[in-house]
Amino acid sequence: MRRVFAYLAAALVGCGFGLGSALAMAGLLPGASTMAFGDVDVGGWRSDFAIGSRAADPYTRARVARHGLLALAKSEAVYFTRATDDAGAPLREACSYRLSGGAMPAGWWSVTLYDAASMLPANTDGALSFDASRAGEGAWEALIAPTRPQGAEHWISSRNAGTFDLTLRLYMPDSALLTDPNGALKAPRIEQLSCEPAA
Amino acid sequence: MRRWIGPLAAALGCAAAAHAAALHFAPALIMDRAIAALAERGVALHAFTAPQRVTPQAQSVVRSSPDLFYALCRYDLSEKGMTLAVRIAAWPDYQSLSFFDARTDNFATVRGTGKAVTLRLLAPGSAPSRGAIVSPTAKGVILIRRLAPSADRYAAAATASVGDACQLEP
Repeated sequence: MRRVFAYLAAALVGCGFGLGSALAMAGLLPGASTMAFGDVDVGGWRSDFAIGSRAADPYTRARVARHGLLALAKSEAVYFTRATDDAGAPLREACSYRLSGGAMPAGWWSVTLYDAASMLPANTDGALSFDASRAGEGAWEALIAPTRPQGAEHWISSRNAGTFDLTLRLYMPDSALLTDPNGALKAPRIEQLSCEPAA
Repeated sequence: MRRWIGPLAAALGCAAAAHAAALHFAPALIMDRAIAALAERGVALHAFTAPQRVTPQAQSVVRSSPDLFYALCRYDLSEKGMTLAVRIAAWPDYQSLSFFDARTDNFATVRGTGKAVTLRLLAPGSAPSRGAIVSPTAKGVILIRRLAPSADRYAAAATASVGDACQLEP
């Protein structure tokens, strides 16, 4: 009887370990961040070019299913995410930032702000993103702040965002972006302008 | 010491089996739950459903874009001899029609900037034919994206969507 119990216990522990390790290695545990994965890093903007594809290994397949559900394959769109400013500090609602860049290697692009739960922040400012149709040709900049900065032409509201990140979407990407992302993409800069003093 | 060799081997075997099974079944399980959630939110079977414009007050999927018009259609090609007739109406800016199978793979995407697109989706195992795409699995989701970065453009995209179709046919 003791021997049967030993086998049963061993099987249970083994199954639990196998299941847990699979979920952890594939990024399927609750709270796993998209930022923890990805195979591309351009100036701090991270992307996972396996999203949407029939990736070969089972870990990537499971991870993409969880974090890239209904996302397009890289031939149609690529998604970059960044959660820190140029100095490496986390992006926070208490601070304001200048987001700047130039021409993008894609047919259309946008930058959208998401809170720590990957949702749009709960505000009614109507300033959730900035996109190619507003940027025009060449260099562009937008200010990120909890209230509209005086004189700002382009503003992304961080009101009620807490600690946040930015997602850069590049639709109809140039082929060079897919083969040499670091060479093709001039990563948008995120410069911290000021922070409210801690209460 | 020898008496632990058997249980240890059983533990290792179970760990390897559970590890492999979790990875193998995870994509299908995730998609199955996603399709069920879409159905609960009113996304129709064999018809395009356009949720409200994405705003902080109306968002149900993580990292949705407020600059895009989305419309979704669930499909089920389990019934023998049935195909899906899919059409997206013309739209002057970027628009695409993307197909996701029951294992979450984006197995086809058709771009339709400035034009209407019509095609047929065939059941798994069907012979490929011109103007048709074969679905790797019987069930899946089709998603329309239209570039609509303002309230006016979103309203225009919604008007254009009247011409979209996702219909089960013999």
